[in-house]
Amino acid sequence: MRPRPPTMRGKRRYILARLDPPSVAFNGRDLYYAIAESLTSLYGDSGMAFIQPSVVSCAEGYAIIRCTRSSEGRVVAGLAAVHQVQEVSVAVRSIRTSGTMRSLRRHLAGMRSRAPCGEHDAYFQGRSWTAVQYPGAKVDLFEKGFKNQQPLFLTEEDLEE
Amino acid sequence: MRCTDACVYPFPLGDSSVRRMAQEAGELGLDSIVAVGARGCIFRGVEVVGGTVIQGRDQGEVQAALRRMGKDPGVVMATAGDYALNRALLHMGRVRILRGIHATPGNSFDHILARMAAERQVAVDLDISVLVSGRDYTRQRALQRYADLVRLQSRFGFLLTLSSGARSILGMKSPRDMVALCGLFGLDEDDVEGAFLGIAKVLRPEKSVEVVE
Repeated sequence: MRPRPPTMRGKRRYILARLDPPSVAFNGRDLYYAIAESLTSLYGDSGMAFIQPSVVSCAEGYAIIRCTRSSEGRVVAGLAAVHQVQEVSVAVRSIRTSGTMRSLRRHLAGMRSRAPCGEHDAYFQGRSWTAVQYPGAKVDLFEKGFKNQQPLFLTEEDLEE
Repeated sequence: MRCTDACVYPFPLGDSSVRRMAQEAGELGLDSIVAVGARGCIFRGVEVVGGTVIQGRDQGEVQAALRRMGKDPGVVMATAGDYALNRALLHMGRVRILRGIHATPGNSFDHILARMAAERQVAVDLDISVLVSGRDYTRQRALQRYADLVRLQSRFGFLLTLSSGARSILGMKSPRDMVALCGLFGLDEDDVEGAFLGIAKVLRPEKSVEVVE
């Protein structure tokens, strides 16, 4: 079967989104289900059919979401309304919208890394925690001995006090 | 203060420290936040304004809470209730923002109270967290009430403020997200910019006579 010529294809828009917190390993499929649920609850099945969202890339704390042209505003609202993925609290923050994935990847290449830059033990509020440091003097605290718990989000100044 | 999140709840009310929330706000493109229970400061270029939220079932409870407040409560916000309570709140000089209108009965804020709010320069807060965490009927009702408030605001010109109501940095929203979410109930981009200025106007209300040197 011959591919449809470019002029006959539907126009798309691509949205670059930042996924928080960086400590959560996001799966593209789970992220898609969360976005689809959010968009369906906001705009219904007909809106979802018009938007045609898909997660085309999901790695290193960023995702690229594809949608039909003129529906990008709805997708940004839908992304802002996502607050859980697989029952883990998250934030999906749209950063930029573009007509090509290439320009988003170029933009992404210029952004700073979000990888943790260290880990150490910390004592906060009378309890022991594992402190994961991130660029910008950010520290996420995970209480020792508890699985699947929500971290505390602090800065290095908070730990020094 | 051109772009302010009008209400966040830092640690211990939430899971993020006020400094981390201020830092996150700066990264999201906000220049100030109102933090409940925090003291005013500037952290990494983001202004933190202290705030207090009062919740009372009637006028007496609210006045008792106002009397108990410390010397520097920051921006005083009160949770709205029925019509009589909202009317009383608008008459109290210290209450600067009405919050939680989405959860009140449909007739609790009408054109008379809208005019009163405009005259007394009391702002009405639109809490975006209801649109994010709410589902089905809760969210539909909040959208209806917010759309009604936007209609009243365009007619009477009272102040609006926008808040994420975040208890975590994960709940904070960028101006871009706020514009998209406010579009759900008919607040356009210019109106959202105006609402971001709401806190600045609440902190520096217009005087009837002002001496310009």
